[in-house]
Amino acid sequence: MKISLKWLRELCPTDLSEDAIAARLTAAGLEVEGREKRSLATDVVAARVVSRTKVEGTHLSVCQVDDGAGDPLQIVCGADNYDAGDVVPLARVGAVLPDGKRIEKAKLRGIDSSGMLCSGRELGLGDDHAGLLILPRETKPGTRIEDLLGLPDTVFEVNVTPNRPDALSHLGIARDLAAIIGATAKAPQTSPLDSGVLPAQVEIEDAVRCPRYLARVIEGVRSGPSPLWLQERLRSCGVRPISNLVDATNLVLLELGHPLHAFDLDKLAGARVIVRRAREGETLVTLDGKERKLMPDDLVIADGERAVALAGVMGGQTSEVTAGTVRILLESAVFEQAGVRRTAKRHALHTEASHRFERGADEATALVALQRCAELIVQLGGGTILPGAIDRYPSPRPPAHVWVRPLRVSAILGTPVTAKEVDQRLLALGLSPVDGNDARRLWAVPGFRRDLTREIDCIEEVARLRGLDTIPIEVPKAGIGETAARSPVQAATAAARAALSARGFDEVLNYSFVAERDLAALWPGEGAPEVIRVANPLTVEQGAMRWSLLAGLLRNVGYNLSRGAQDLRLYELGRVYLRKAEPRHAAGPLAWPASEPRRLALAAVGQRSPKSWGAKDEPVDYFDLKGALEDLLETMGLPPARFELASSATLHPSSSSALFLDGVMLGTLGQVHPLVAKAFDVPATTLVAELDWDALTSRAQIVRQLHGVPRFPGVGRDLAFVVDDAVPAARMLAEIRAADAKGLLEQVALFDVYKGNPVPAGKKSIAYRLSLRAPDRTLTDVEADALCKAVEARLTQELGAEIRR
Amino acid sequence: MIDELNALLAQAQAELLSAHDEAQVEAARIKFLGKKGALSGVLRGMGKLAAEERPRVGEIANSVKAGIEALLDRAQAALEGRALLADLSREKLDVTLPGRPQRRGHRHAVSQAMEDIVEIFARLGFHVADGPEIEWDLYNFEKLGMPPDHPARDMQDTFYLDESTLPPPPPGSPPTLRTQQTVLRTHTSPVQARTMLGQPPPVRIICPGKVYRCDSDVTHTPMFHQVECLHVEEGLSMAHLRGTLDAFVKAFFGPGIKTRLRPSYFPFTEPSAEVDISHPLCGGRGCRICKETGWLEVLGAGMVNPDVLAGVGYDPERVTGYAFGVGIDRLAMLRHGLDDLRLLFENDVRFLQQL
Repeated sequence: MKISLKWLRELCPTDLSEDAIAARLTAAGLEVEGREKRSLATDVVAARVVSRTKVEGTHLSVCQVDDGAGDPLQIVCGADNYDAGDVVPLARVGAVLPDGKRIEKAKLRGIDSSGMLCSGRELGLGDDHAGLLILPRETKPGTRIEDLLGLPDTVFEVNVTPNRPDALSHLGIARDLAAIIGATAKAPQTSPLDSGVLPAQVEIEDAVRCPRYLARVIEGVRSGPSPLWLQERLRSCGVRPISNLVDATNLVLLELGHPLHAFDLDKLAGARVIVRRAREGETLVTLDGKERKLMPDDLVIADGERAVALAGVMGGQTSEVTAGTVRILLESAVFEQAGVRRTAKRHALHTEASHRFERGADEATALVALQRCAELIVQLGGGTILPGAIDRYPSPRPPAHVWVRPLRVSAILGTPVTAKEVDQRLLALGLSPVDGNDARRLWAVPGFRRDLTREIDCIEEVARLRGLDTIPIEVPKAGIGETAARSPVQAATAAARAALSARGFDEVLNYSFVAERDLAALWPGEGAPEVIRVANPLTVEQGAMRWSLLAGLLRNVGYNLSRGAQDLRLYELGRVYLRKAEPRHAAGPLAWPASEPRRLALAAVGQRSPKSWGAKDEPVDYFDLKGALEDLLETMGLPPARFELASSATLHPSSSSALFLDGVMLGTLGQVHPLVAKAFDVPATTLVAELDWDALTSRAQIVRQLHGVPRFPGVGRDLAFVVDDAVPAARMLAEIRAADAKGLLEQVALFDVYKGNPVPAGKKSIAYRLSLRAPDRTLTDVEADALCKAVEARLTQELGAEIRR
Repeated sequence: MIDELNALLAQAQAELLSAHDEAQVEAARIKFLGKKGALSGVLRGMGKLAAEERPRVGEIANSVKAGIEALLDRAQAALEGRALLADLSREKLDVTLPGRPQRRGHRHAVSQAMEDIVEIFARLGFHVADGPEIEWDLYNFEKLGMPPDHPARDMQDTFYLDESTLPPPPPGSPPTLRTQQTVLRTHTSPVQARTMLGQPPPVRIICPGKVYRCDSDVTHTPMFHQVECLHVEEGLSMAHLRGTLDAFVKAFFGPGIKTRLRPSYFPFTEPSAEVDISHPLCGGRGCRICKETGWLEVLGAGMVNPDVLAGVGYDPERVTGYAFGVGIDRLAMLRHGLDDLRLLFENDVRFLQQL
């Protein structure tokens, strides 16, 4: 809400400086977010054109003007909308106009000109540049235009929160300021309502949506421009001046906060106003020139024939006040909040009126605003107010009463507040005591403060008026046993992040919504997971909730490679969104609408080691990624995982695997499928992994049991076998372990895999270092040899392996 | 004789000082200590000495011998040392070659800030609570004092989900849920309602997580992160809210940071406040970023609205509470001196690797 400081000072006279007022309002919850200084050069003054002579063959005239300072000045002027005797603005030599232009003594066509006669636009007063701004003839030459405008002024941009419709006006802010600083606000005076019968009829068909409708009729008005000061008031508050009749309603809106609408009574069929729901298929051309298709939920103002305004939102063209209007029906009504909001939303029409009705208008203010506006219209446009008003008030709102306990105020604010202070603060806000005593008092709330309905609302009022800096700082006591430890899941996650950092993975954070085509590209072929869509995404790139972190991660890889990065190791820890029930919260009132499991995803591409003068160029491969994951599981205290060739559509069918823990599949890893690589424009060698983070962290064992070190020496033996290429390493390992009947094998390390001469084609040589140890004695060579024999025999028998010697 | 012996020691010292190789040292050994060497030569004259003089001269002769031996050893060691040094100096490292690069990964500034915040609140006794990001309108708005068509909904531009792409409503969900719209939560506050509905007071939780609003410019991204803090217990006041805020801000930004509360409005707290902190970068003196005020708005806070407490079955006359929600991304930006929020989500490694 834009608030003119000058106007505010008229309604709440105070000696406080501009800065102090801004600070006090902000400290009381009416935040002054911005300030605009408005002024006009002091040497722009009113001047009477004494004579005007056209310069032959040009569009120019030479004028002698009286600027009230003595001898007439000679000005050359290009405009044509004025005559001798008119009073117009003169920018004297030296004046600087709002656009920065400085007025100098000049010669036009060889004729001296000592200043410039100005249009409205040249003075920053609107868009009119058809000619000079013509001032009223009675304006005294030499009067500063700044004075006519009521400048200089400062305009505050006040952030009014949605609970304070009363503060959406100059009077509302003035009332609050008065309460804050202990002054009294001066509301504009209006005369009491007289009685009479009006040549118009008002009916309310929907009393819920329209609790009160007031109207007056003014006859014999003359439409014309508003005086400069009024135009400036509107302009400074962001409202465009239109004509005196319309400007009057807007001025009252800004002053009292109540929206009004002026109808041309002669354009209302049957001189009737009916407040009703729109009919199915009904249309209305609103003041902005747009034809609106109405819905039965829209409340309209109709005349005897058709809808003429969208109630509480915008008027219609057919009943608009125009230059020819002579009879006005002035509406001051209250429309129900939610209904106005629905209509405003539906038609994407957010107006000064809808903004206020949505937040709640006051039935009593409606009457004051009506009187004030009617009087203003007569002041500006002449005419007479017909005696009497129509007042349809089918559902009066009962006044609110609130009990307030000073002890409760103290308890909530954490500091003692006396009953006397509570009384004084609430009185300052216009509440009046009705009943009770110092321990507990009943207050009647004025209609314009419809946000005050409960004790807590009044406690907040006391708090903001006394200032929140009066609240002490107190740290809550932790009860016994209440210090919160890291949960096991948090601890596992922290350990895993540290491990990933140590392995060189950079953490990324992607939006949860991605382009749906990216998700489709992740899963070439049938059986892709179902997508949850955003109904109103900002762009199609953010239209689908991700069911895999890989869509974002592969985009990150492509993005960075295209910007010159070479080696990338990225990870993301976050949720994916699945179209199924969330297993942890599947039923009951606290169920989750969809499943949101956490995942960990990794991506790696480029060289294994950072490029350096001693390093070999070796690309990362499947086993780097597998090693990183094995290390991660180890860090989290998880048992070794089993890896099997995978069947994920995202991955290369022969260079990827699934990861199993205790027989449960918890993720996949490997090279991306070539089609996926192509779709995301990343190298075919890009490696990715995606793991079920909830399952991993729930099994993690961050705190470990420790053991001593072995007391007896062990024995090492190296064995190499030649086997069929197709025999998996895991199978060989299993057979080696199976041969160890006495449990002497402490560790089996595979240290070489070799294919090629002299190993026959279709075979591979595979070498192990066996570490043997007995827990209770020094192992002998005989025992070690026996175990090696047993291993050899088993591998020969089960896998047809041959030992290499 | 004693003089001769001493002269011998002095001579040996002088000669060994100029010995440059092992041959010279060996020659000196033979010359002084050999069977036919100088010492033997001198000692051969012992027989001529008076009997009473012999023990004394013998003693001196022994010490001269030991002295020469020590000189020889030292000369030998010096030679070996020189030889080793010469040997070691043969191949010099270029110590200015760059160290072998180690690959170090980097945390994301937001996740790091989030972890730090969780740690700080853990010390203050707050547990971490969780809730869905795809949320019922009921918990995101209604339970927080924002019924349909409430103007406060304008404070948060909401993403809705395409209902036809969601799973069927879960069994046991209240009938109102079935007609509700489903949103991407616009704040972490729905976790307040969920947590309180699931347990009796006292409640002392924080909820870190992603939130969503239809908004995108230099200071807004459609997804960002918040931490919700909720404490409900008997006897809590705004002083406790200030105390907790103050402790948190000091732990996160440093001990010199001050907090300031300004009255504001949120439908689910009352009284409500915007919380400013003294600008960590300019130390509260005022600069361009804080618009010369020395203060920065960082979060919204307040006492839990009694209607919210009543709505989850708590007795607002018995328990009170305070709550606040912090934008983590903004805190991370402040901490790292960033002014473009979007950098946080571009995931450019040239940015990520700065942390």
